[in-house]
Amino acid sequence: MVDLGAKGAGERFDPITLEIFWSRLISIADESAAALLRTSFSTIVRESNDFGTVLMDANGDSLSENTGGIPSFAGILPITLKHFLAKFPRETWKPGDCVITNDPWLATGHLPDITMVMPVFWNGQLVGFSGSIAHSPDIGGSLWSADCRELFEEGLCIPPLKFLKEGELNKDVEEMIVCNVRLPEQVLGDLNAQVTANQVCGRRLIEFFEDSELDDLSLLSKSLLTRAETAMRNAIEEVPDGIYHSSLDADGFDEDETHIECAVTVEGSNIEIDYKGTSKQINRGLNTVMNYTHAYSAYPIKCALDPLTPRNEGSYRPINVVAPEGSILNPTRPAPCNARQLTGHMLAGVIYAALAQAVPSKVIADSGSAPSMRAIFSGLNPKGNRFTQILFASGGMGARPTKDGISTIAFPTNAGAGSIEAFESVAPLIVWQKEFRADSGGAGTYRGGLGQVCEIESRALEPLQLSLLSDRWRHPATGILGGLEGAKSHISFSDGTVPHQKSRTVIEPGIRLKMIYAGGGGYGDPTQRERGRVCEDVKNGYVTAAAARSLYGEGG
Amino acid sequence: MKKRIRIGVDVGGTFTDFVLVDEERDQIFTGKQLTTPSDPSAAILDGVARLLSDAGLSPTAVDNIVHGTTLITNTIIERTGAKVGLVSTLGHRDTLEMAKEIRYDLYDLFIESPPSLVPRFLRESVAERISPDGEILLEFDEGGFKNSLRKLVQEENIEALAICLMHSYRNPVHEQLAKKIVSKLYKDLPVTLSSDVAPEIREFERTSTACANAYVQPLMQSYLKRLDKRLKALGHDGTLYIMLSGGGITTVRDAEAYPIRLIESGPAAGAMAASYYSTLTDTKNLISYDMGGTTAKMCLIDNNRPDRKYDFEAGRVRRFAKGSGLPLKVSVVDMIEIGAGGGSLASVDQMGLLKVGPRSAGSQPGPVCYGLGGKDPAVTDADLYLGYLNPDYFLGGQMTLNLEKVEKSIEETLAKPLGLTVLEAAVGIHNVVNENMAAATRMHLAEKGRDPRKYDMIAFGGAGPVHACHMARLLKLDNVIVPLGAGVTSALGFLVAAPAVDYVRSYVARLEQINWEYLNQLFCDMEDEARSLLTEAGADNEDITFERKADMRHVGQGFEISVPVPDGELSGSHVDELRLNFFDSYRNLFERTVTDIAIETMSWRLAATAPIPNITLNFKGQKGSVDSKLKGQRSVFFSETGFAPCDVYNRYAFFEGDTVEGPAIIEERESTTVMPPGTRAKVDESLNLRIELNA
Repeated sequence: MVDLGAKGAGERFDPITLEIFWSRLISIADESAAALLRTSFSTIVRESNDFGTVLMDANGDSLSENTGGIPSFAGILPITLKHFLAKFPRETWKPGDCVITNDPWLATGHLPDITMVMPVFWNGQLVGFSGSIAHSPDIGGSLWSADCRELFEEGLCIPPLKFLKEGELNKDVEEMIVCNVRLPEQVLGDLNAQVTANQVCGRRLIEFFEDSELDDLSLLSKSLLTRAETAMRNAIEEVPDGIYHSSLDADGFDEDETHIECAVTVEGSNIEIDYKGTSKQINRGLNTVMNYTHAYSAYPIKCALDPLTPRNEGSYRPINVVAPEGSILNPTRPAPCNARQLTGHMLAGVIYAALAQAVPSKVIADSGSAPSMRAIFSGLNPKGNRFTQILFASGGMGARPTKDGISTIAFPTNAGAGSIEAFESVAPLIVWQKEFRADSGGAGTYRGGLGQVCEIESRALEPLQLSLLSDRWRHPATGILGGLEGAKSHISFSDGTVPHQKSRTVIEPGIRLKMIYAGGGGYGDPTQRERGRVCEDVKNGYVTAAAARSLYGEGG
Repeated sequence: MKKRIRIGVDVGGTFTDFVLVDEERDQIFTGKQLTTPSDPSAAILDGVARLLSDAGLSPTAVDNIVHGTTLITNTIIERTGAKVGLVSTLGHRDTLEMAKEIRYDLYDLFIESPPSLVPRFLRESVAERISPDGEILLEFDEGGFKNSLRKLVQEENIEALAICLMHSYRNPVHEQLAKKIVSKLYKDLPVTLSSDVAPEIREFERTSTACANAYVQPLMQSYLKRLDKRLKALGHDGTLYIMLSGGGITTVRDAEAYPIRLIESGPAAGAMAASYYSTLTDTKNLISYDMGGTTAKMCLIDNNRPDRKYDFEAGRVRRFAKGSGLPLKVSVVDMIEIGAGGGSLASVDQMGLLKVGPRSAGSQPGPVCYGLGGKDPAVTDADLYLGYLNPDYFLGGQMTLNLEKVEKSIEETLAKPLGLTVLEAAVGIHNVVNENMAAATRMHLAEKGRDPRKYDMIAFGGAGPVHACHMARLLKLDNVIVPLGAGVTSALGFLVAAPAVDYVRSYVARLEQINWEYLNQLFCDMEDEARSLLTEAGADNEDITFERKADMRHVGQGFEISVPVPDGELSGSHVDELRLNFFDSYRNLFERTVTDIAIETMSWRLAATAPIPNITLNFKGQKGSVDSKLKGQRSVFFSETGFAPCDVYNRYAFFEGDTVEGPAIIEERESTTVMPPGTRAKVDESLNLRIELNA
């Protein structure tokens, strides 16, 4: 075991003070997140938690992040901030400044995500930064789609610029953004929501200084980062040393199928994930920049090995992620990357398949809900109001070492599903079906979570725009340790036609769109499944009697 | 004014509490009885009889009894309710189980979803469809429904039925048709319609509420019938009222129809009591702070009343984890509850830091100091070690606390692993739990857009007054009120509540596109319902006051805010007023407004209230004679002084105008008030301690 460092290396804080301070810093990030969430216009922020708030020290290292935010963001913000500091040196920041960017390579990997950072001053000294990331309601370009061939088609790219200068709005930047987006009021509304969130974070940090009698965060930061790092290192040490390989195939785009090759090397308290051998970048928006690849590699490690401790920069230090330059996991500019989640969400499955060889009791089977499957509808409703609605729904989570996978639950992302009644109230769409899909969970000692079936009819007077983002039509979620694969996904129209899985198309009035969501992979040999569980599954219709017979050898 | 005798009864998990107010003689009597879980009415009957004999009154002298209970919460947590069948719209059979499709913990791969109250094999669906505008898209399939019903009743033997059809909040005609068919075929089967119990948009929450209501209904109906009958047999000929989660009281008939609305009746009483003290002490804005054995509850009292909210989560499978329970669309007092009580346990986490709660020692085995086998140190243990509690006067001396065991336990469990002294660890427990409560309160204030500096605190519950001054200082408050008899303060709430009821109807429309005739009809219907219920509950028709609100948001947003709606007939001329009200509410919450984006309404609410009963608080009958204020001295720890001799006072010897300077300990039977250095208390005319924190 690594020394917990309670009294180590000149640490100035006792474990009680540190607990109180740390909880306080986390609640500051949470309060900032609450402010952002409640005033945001973006359904993606709201329904899929596609946002994050992070408190950073004067070096730009993260100290605390909001509890419920998307895992990828907390690790990325400090990297983005370091890019900001390269352009705007620390000594040039003034109170009330706010720097903005959505550059995929500097920030979170696609243009819709806006990153904003503000400095925090105490006694005239720059003591920290408040940062937020949120998925904007619109960023111009191609809407949320996967089929662009270059970054430039995907929307407006904002380099690091001052959105506020000493509290004053930079009108030039604002005008530039307004001129390039479809929903300018909502986009500006959300930028303001982010500024508010950053201000809340800054104000609370100043109150913390008033209460704690600290002069700056540097020593505290050092302690917190060390604690988080130590906890992660202790967790990694429990994993047997070795190099564990796995690979995974995804549908990719047309003939460009995606192959991900993964080698996880565990050595002492370090872990390295190397994607050598992964597909080259493609000229469609499935490329994930290194920041995103890193974030979606570190997150599943944290979940599997060290789920309970709070997170900050220190948690991620023992994890090294490498991907070949020019690959789909480390593309070079200006590769399109708008739907990078279709690739990035796959990483958890491939990493767990590797780790299953070392720590099978800590990882889960591949999830049918990775990547998320989305249908984005837009157009006019019969009252003449313009709408854009995303159908949020998930496939099944992979089975777990001691439990079935959860049905219709996203992993590794945590997108929820909104109310169908609310969905129908603002869009001329009727959802005739949204139900579990029997037999879609991969068989196993523990069964994969079920996917679902959604059937949506357009009641609009005119054709509606439809953008589809999906995968797993050809490559299902795989099982582990003898568990079987989950059912694949599919999308079709009621007139018998089949749309492209990653396309922008239209849906005609009166036509129904049928979306079939994939199930999670199974865990362990199906014949080892408890008989009682199989009977319960049949009784509840999660598994049909015929499938129970053929997969589990049960009469049902 | 007619003098009255009223009794409040709070059935809790462990104890059933009683308060009797005799307005004739200006006296208050209190009592406690062990709860009898198999038939709670047994303890109630015993307790009422004993209380009446203490007070020298006959059962016929009692005007009314107000009752609250945790039975419903427990039934849901323990999953001991009825076997319920559910009928949904065809294609939506799994709404209840799919829930929000979200993981309540981002990092735990092993989370459990809360088990559905209705398993899938008891869920049927019927072909029918109503649009968001209330238009019938597909007729109700009566034949198919009857088949489903036959299966549920005759093959599965369900004991209650819930029906939730799409958009029934907008047009309940299909649900009502279904109910008619059920009552014809199976007239004894209790039926809950989602459009009755929660006529609000969002099908999952509405289904969940309807199922929960059906789940607890058979149990509550038989319980309330039995209780009423037995009270009558005792000779009580007054009225039995039931406390609602929103802080109002209602009739037995209403409670039997919608028992789920009683789910938070116990905690609501505490908030109503705090409101009462807010008026009594002329303190408009109070943070009500109630700390008991397992949790602390914080609630904001503004302008003498608690805020309410319209959703609640019951039976969380992971305590205090948002999203791990069943959402209910019911009106409840808006409060936060966190796992910080006297029994909350301290431990060292993987980071080597000191954590307190949410794990609790409960009453069995309880904290180490009870000497009943508790191994890990709890908050009460630290309080004892620091000298705040008197080992020989716990619960008025009913229990002796063991300091030696505490010292050993803190040493082994915390001090050694953390490299601290026992004292440092004990102070740590105290500080961490205080900080946890302060942080939760800060967050609650922030989410509601309120400034803590405008508030005073009222502290009650067994552990509340022990921690109040420390916690209030963390929140930078100036004043703390500790009422006399802090241990029974909560039960007083039953007697200061008024008949009150909340109604809601969802109607989604942009402000400019509202159908005013339809909206006026909605309010009209709600007012009629409210009047008939409240007059039945004893209110005079002309005394009933109404308050209207709407849940509104900008088009595109997913969260609504509560906005005041003018009285009277509404029309297009009210659009500007509604818009301005929306901006005001928005600014209060978020400190800014957005002007260019359309505004839409989701739900319309009506709160109807009768006047609050006027009671005086006179504990004179309770005090007995006490000679001297000063009980003695003991060594007590404060960060300013370290361990030092501190005066210990008897709360029952204090009268109006008396003052005491901190550091001081003031003991009463069910609680202890800890006053750190730098504080000063004065006793007011109602014998409340009014503590200034920065004297």
